[in-house]
This record gives sequence, structure tokens and C-alpha cells, in this order.
Amino acid sequence: MSDLAVPGRRAARRGRLGTESVPAAEPPDARRALQLGLAGISLLDALLQYQPVMFSRTFGQMLAETAAGNPGFIARPIAWDATLVQQHAVALNAVFATIQLLLGLGIAFRPLTRLALAASVAWSLAVWWLGEGLGGVLNGTANPVSGAPGAVILYALLAVLLWPADRVESPPFTAARAVGVRTAQGLWLVLWLSLAWFALLPANRAPLALHDLLAGQADGQPGWLAGIENGAASAVGSHGLAASIVLAVACVLIAAGVFLPRPAARAAVVLALVVAAVLWVAGQAFGMILAGGATDPNTGPLLALIALAYWPATPRVAEPGVAGPSVETPAS
Amino acid sequence: MTPPTWILDVLAGVMLTVAGVSAGRLAAARPWRRGTAVTDTDIGHLLMAIAMAGTLAAGLRTLPSAAWVVIFGVLTCWFGYRVARDASSSGVRALAGRHCTPHLVHSGAMVYMFLALPPLAAASAGMARMGAASQALRYPSLALVFALVLAASTVWDLDQLSGRRYRLESAAVTVGCRTAMSITMAFMLLVMI
Repeated sequence: MSDLAVPGRRAARRGRLGTESVPAAEPPDARRALQLGLAGISLLDALLQYQPVMFSRTFGQMLAETAAGNPGFIARPIAWDATLVQQHAVALNAVFATIQLLLGLGIAFRPLTRLALAASVAWSLAVWWLGEGLGGVLNGTANPVSGAPGAVILYALLAVLLWPADRVESPPFTAARAVGVRTAQGLWLVLWLSLAWFALLPANRAPLALHDLLAGQADGQPGWLAGIENGAASAVGSHGLAASIVLAVACVLIAAGVFLPRPAARAAVVLALVVAAVLWVAGQAFGMILAGGATDPNTGPLLALIALAYWPATPRVAEPGVAGPSVETPAS
Repeated sequence: MTPPTWILDVLAGVMLTVAGVSAGRLAAARPWRRGTAVTDTDIGHLLMAIAMAGTLAAGLRTLPSAAWVVIFGVLTCWFGYRVARDASSSGVRALAGRHCTPHLVHSGAMVYMFLALPPLAAASAGMARMGAASQALRYPSLALVFALVLAASTVWDLDQLSGRRYRLESAAVTVGCRTAMSITMAFMLLVMI
């Protein structure tokens, strides 16, 4: 039962204290590593759903608020769902949290990965509609700084991009393995161009819009995080329009990056990682987890995972005499 | 506010099950016999599971927080020593395949939790009373860091468990217990933020 024993006469006389032996760890490939990242974030999401406030009527009220401004055919099901959740808050939230927990664990457990990813897509689409009001996309309130187009739709996107299938022989990046190069590029383009578009919406480019958003994130946070939020708010000041334009330009550059040669594509992915980090820390205050009552860690870590799925693959030189392409297809 | 009591009780039940399994494994190892070996992971599981069950269930009284801090402080030092020894003998990368690393995190998280508990919960009143008094953990940033590490550790363990790594039945039990404890501990930390 033990492979290592503590040396010493007393230990030898009675029982020895050791650690169970285990075989060496198997390092996961890039896609599996990203799947595990998605599983970890899903798990965190699920545990946040077990917070006390989610078992109260407040959760239903949060859902109801997402209906405002949406077209009737979108808003009515949200209102119905919100009413239902308010009436049965404890039972329904326990079910919701447990489903999310099982999704996270399922993605991590290899025999269940496909099933969990497929269920994650269906679950995410339902929650995006009934729980997030389509992330404010249709009512003009979507803001990439605060988490547009909604964290939950990014779970669905990641589940698709990380689906365990291989449609391309020499994929230029991990995301292309499951859906093909063109589709993966198209999804990346839509994501980042939509973020650029949302950044320039009238409500987001108003002079004080970003300042007020950042300053509002400081409430209830630990001192160091409140300091970051207030500092960022002060730095932006009344230059909301300029900040929105900078963010939009960054998103457009990132969107174009996937079509560029490998060095430029890598630079775009690095820029995407930086934008994701800045959004998560300064814009989203780590999903407001430390203030209590957060339903998810928000979009920052998910955008980072998506970016890593588009990291251009390193060229692989074949051994002399071995048939096949000597270099993988570049990102361009 | 606290989560519904039945959720806390269910988790306390899971922890007591883990404690029972660990106690059974320790007894099966017959440590009183000469030359037998006792796994430190089972000792760690047993103590952590009892401590967590006591914190979760309002009706379960265990040791006072100060005693748990001392116990898990010793365990943290022990697993820290084991991790340092593994790192020096096999390299830092090999730590991902060892049991000691997650146990170091678990022990550290327990020390943090019992040190950061507000006075009412620290007086063995448990999470239920703590929530009723609207109290939260001190230094919540550390709670989030530990919760993130525990979530990462859980998915890594499950991946390795479902891969080719754990063919040994005993190792699978160890990882199963550890997964249950990681999830429960992350739950407790996030709920008490």
C-alpha cells in the first residue's frame, strides 16, 4: 500500500507512514487541456449556483430583469421561467446547480466527455435565452466590458470548438479540428466583430458610461480589487467614447488575426488574451465573485480559453523518408 | 443566508462516508502490526472529512477551530515536506502525478478556512449559524484562489482517473474520496465568501 516509508527506528517498529503509489501522469494534448479548462470553469459556475442567494426569490427576480427590452416572443418565456423560479426557488435552483455540476464533472470524465459537451450546448442555449435574455444582444444593453454576449453562450461555443472529432488532417489551430478551418475562422470573426459592435453601442460609448460601470463594480469588493476598479474608473474618466473606440479597434484586429500569417495570428491571439484578462480583472471584477451573488465567473476566462483554441500550431517537420506533408498548414 | 440545510446535511453525509472509507482503509492496513504501512493520504482524508462534516452540519460537534488549525497546520507541513522531497527527487513536473500536491492544497485550504471563519462559526456553530448571522470568511480573495485550485485539481483528477492512469482499485478510491472532498471544500469556501 505504500511505496515510500519514513525512515526511523520508531516507524519501523510499528506502522510506517507512506504515500500510495501511482503511475506517472499522462499529459493531455492541447484540445484535452482546453476541455479540462472548460470543465473547471463549468465546475466553478456550478458551485457559484449553490450560493445562498440563488435559493431565494432574488434569483427569480434577477432572471425577470433580463426580459426587459427584449421582443415579446423572447421576453414572454423569460417572464414565465422567472415566475416559476420565484415560486419554486429552492427545488429549481438545486436542479440547475446540480445539472451544471454534472456537466462540469462529465466533461472532465473521459467516457462522458461527448455526452457532457452535447448537453452543455443545449443547456447553454436554454440558459442564454431564459436566464440571460440573450445577453442583451437584442435590447441594446450588451456591453463586452460587463460580459456581453453572455458567458453562457461562450460555453456553447467552446463545447462546439472542442468537440472530440477530427475533420481536418493538419489543423492550423485546435479549434479547427472539430469544425474545420473555415467554420472555425467564421465563428472567431463573428465573436470578435460582435464584441467590437457592442463596444460602440450608444449606451456604451457615452462619455461617462465606462467610468460609471467600472466604479459600480467596486461595491462590496475587497480593498485591493475596489482599488483596481476605482483606479480604472478614474483613468477612463469621461473618455468613454475614446475607450470604446480603442476596445473596438482591438477586437477588429483580433478578429482579422485568424486570417493572417502565423506570426501575426499569434500576435492577435496574444492581444485577445490581454483583452480577456483586462476585461475580467478591470471590467468584470473577476465576475463579481468576491462581492457575493455572482452566477458565473463571466466572460473573461472563457474568452481566454477560446483564444487559446486558436493558437497557431507549431510547424511539424516530418522525419526524412516519411511520406506526407513536411509542414502543417499555416494559419493563413 | 445559507444554502438549504438539507444540502449541507447531504454534503456532511458524503464527508462522513469519506471518513468511514478512510477509517476502513486505515484499519485494513493494520498499523499496529510490525512492518505494515499506513498511507498519509488516508489519515489526511479522515481528518479533513470529519472537520468538514462538523462545519457543514449544525448538529455535529467536533473539535474547536483552534485544534483543527493545529492539526491541519501539521498536515500542511508534512505534505509540504513530501512535495519538496518529490520535487527534488523527480522534478517539479512530476508533482502533477503525485498524491501529495493536492493534499498539500487541501490541508492549506483547511488551515485557511478555520483561521478565516468568523467568531460564531469558529465556535463550532457551523455554516448554518454563520449564515444566519450574515457573517462571511475573512480574506475572501484567498477563498477564491483556493476554490479555483480545488476546481482545477478536481477536473485533473477526474481526467486522470478516467484515463489509463489509475488501474489500481485502491488508487481509484483515493481519487474518488479526494474529488468529493475537493468539491465540498470549494463549495464551502465559495458559499462562505
